Amino acid sequence: MNENPYLPAESIRKAAVKGMENVNRYSELKYLNELKKLIGKYSNIPLNRVILSPGSDFILREVINIFSKDRKIIMVNPSFFPVSQYAMKLALKLTKIQLSPPGFKLDPELFLNELDEPTLLIIDNPNNPTGASILDNKLVENILQNKNVLLLVDEAYYEFSGQTFAGLIKKYPNLAITRTMDKAFSLAGFRLGYLLAGDYFKDQFSDFPAFLSKPTLFAAIEALKNPEYVTKNIKKIISEKARIEEELKKTGIEVFPGSANFILIKCKIPDFARKLMDSGILIKDLSEEWLNGFYRISIGLPEENDALLSIIKNN
Amino acid sequence: MKKIGLIVNPIAGMGGSVGLKGTDGEIYKKAIELGAKPTTPQRIEETLSLIKREDIHFMVAPGKMGENSIGKFDFKYEIVSTINEETNASDTKRIVKKMLEKNIELLIFVGGDGTARDIYDAVGLNIPVIGIPSGVKMFSPVFALSPNAAAQMINNYTKELTEKEVLDIDEEAFRENKISAKLYGYLKVPKNITLLQAKKEPSNVSRSEEDMKEEIADYLMENLEKETLYILGPGTTLKTIADKMGVEKTLLGIDAVFNGELVGIDLNEKGLLTLIKMYNKSTIIVTPIGGNGFIFGRASKQFTPEVLKLIGKKNIVVVATEDKINKLECLRLDTGNIEVDKSLSGFTKVITAYKKETIIEVK
Repeated sequence: MNENPYLPAESIRKAAVKGMENVNRYSELKYLNELKKLIGKYSNIPLNRVILSPGSDFILREVINIFSKDRKIIMVNPSFFPVSQYAMKLALKLTKIQLSPPGFKLDPELFLNELDEPTLLIIDNPNNPTGASILDNKLVENILQNKNVLLLVDEAYYEFSGQTFAGLIKKYPNLAITRTMDKAFSLAGFRLGYLLAGDYFKDQFSDFPAFLSKPTLFAAIEALKNPEYVTKNIKKIISEKARIEEELKKTGIEVFPGSANFILIKCKIPDFARKLMDSGILIKDLSEEWLNGFYRISIGLPEENDALLSIIKNN
Repeated sequence: MKKIGLIVNPIAGMGGSVGLKGTDGEIYKKAIELGAKPTTPQRIEETLSLIKREDIHFMVAPGKMGENSIGKFDFKYEIVSTINEETNASDTKRIVKKMLEKNIELLIFVGGDGTARDIYDAVGLNIPVIGIPSGVKMFSPVFALSPNAAAQMINNYTKELTEKEVLDIDEEAFRENKISAKLYGYLKVPKNITLLQAKKEPSNVSRSEEDMKEEIADYLMENLEKETLYILGPGTTLKTIADKMGVEKTLLGIDAVFNGELVGIDLNEKGLLTLIKMYNKSTIIVTPIGGNGFIFGRASKQFTPEVLKLIGKKNIVVVATEDKINKLECLRLDTGNIEVDKSLSGFTKVITAYKKETIIEVK
């Protein structure tokens, strides 16, 4: 699992506990609206374009449910695996574009040539598990100018990459963005995702129910009101990431540059993930879903990262 | 009790430490002269020490082919057949066939690519196998990642199986730092390849590999054109397509179908050229080799540069299951002719299921 190693601020945990009061009652609309307003402000988007969801993969699945009936789906491979598998199951027509090491680049021409019929494009940017930023403004606008196409960009790691296409949502009705508070906001246990919807998506999601519990709402509201801890933790994670990358490179392990909160490596040590697991360290072995020898390492606390490096160096 | 066969190739891997690339044929004697020590006992004993199941009754090859190692543990076992001081490939095949007569459900073997070939000769696709890697040449993707991974595969034995290629590597060429391989056959292996995979929750959206092959075949059948010669490359995916077409295909050969009739069996270059010239339109359907992604120049040498020049890139259809294609960085070519390689390289679409495709680079 790729999670934030740092707890959220104390005030957020207290807010969640406060949300436990009157749990015999459903979440009130005013709290949902308050959260939408805060997310809108945070994303620089009007609140009526914000759709809340328990986790961003939930809303990604819903997008597939709604739009796969009469559209081809295009995704890249690898991609966020649960969503990729769901698309494989549900899509009537699916095209995957293989991203290859070392650059994991998308060929814009190849990509645009595929948009000749009604299409839903789902792209995670930065990509998981490679960490590569595969979209830029020019490509995104080129895609969106094609009226046949709906583009959903999953920006789960936006806070780490600093790259977003949210500014294009007002201009392009066929663009939507999913984000999560699981990662940068350290709220994985609450599962809070949201969709920033262009007009076309907004209309389809007008009756989408809000499934959020009161403790989740209270925690998220507090987090967005006092987000200083987020900025601080991101800095710590990015700095630790750079340190681990440097140390890994010294051991001869191939490290791929990425802009998310994890590191993609290629390593020839046999049973690498299992050896680390025996020492209590879990990393993601990507050989089942993707390529042999590739692993995704999430950034832990400094002492956990030290332990990881020490095991690798002693192998 | 589960009846599991166990056989060790006692000379596999001996060439590695003394700089020989493999011990096929008589080369192992040179390895011994150079001071090589057997490596397989350590590999199988590592696996055996990690097996936690108590419901196994092993059917074991005698002496250094298994008995000597299993005797160090508390497993229930029975020795199958006898061997002489010196053993060779025919012993492996003979003993495995005896084990099959004793109704083993699964075979564990220790060795390298050469051993995998012998196991394929004896077992085919009849029962699943778990290969413990111990050879110098390890190009066939049938092996577990390590002795430990093999133990976990036995502990978490799944009946979900996948077919992996047995590759025939030419040792002489390999010694000259050239890799020359052709597809030798297929073995069935359990689908959980590592400990982590074995522990994963089963995905409720995954479909079996067989279903995927059926979907590929269904999709192709819907898009078959009349008056076109279809040349089917080797492999089980192509076999599934041939089954749908209602023709009997050779598993490892290249066969040709025209308007639903088999018009060529196990074709060589000459046969292919004759047929392609005879018909107005021809299409080759191939699947890449799992693990390395070669579509031409490895599995099917019959697709020579001449044949491929006549066919042209637009008349080549590539098919592969999602599982196989997801694990490839790219597709590869090595036809022996740079111009032909160049003309076939670039991006191509691979049919992975019904109306599902992956765009991947051919290098």
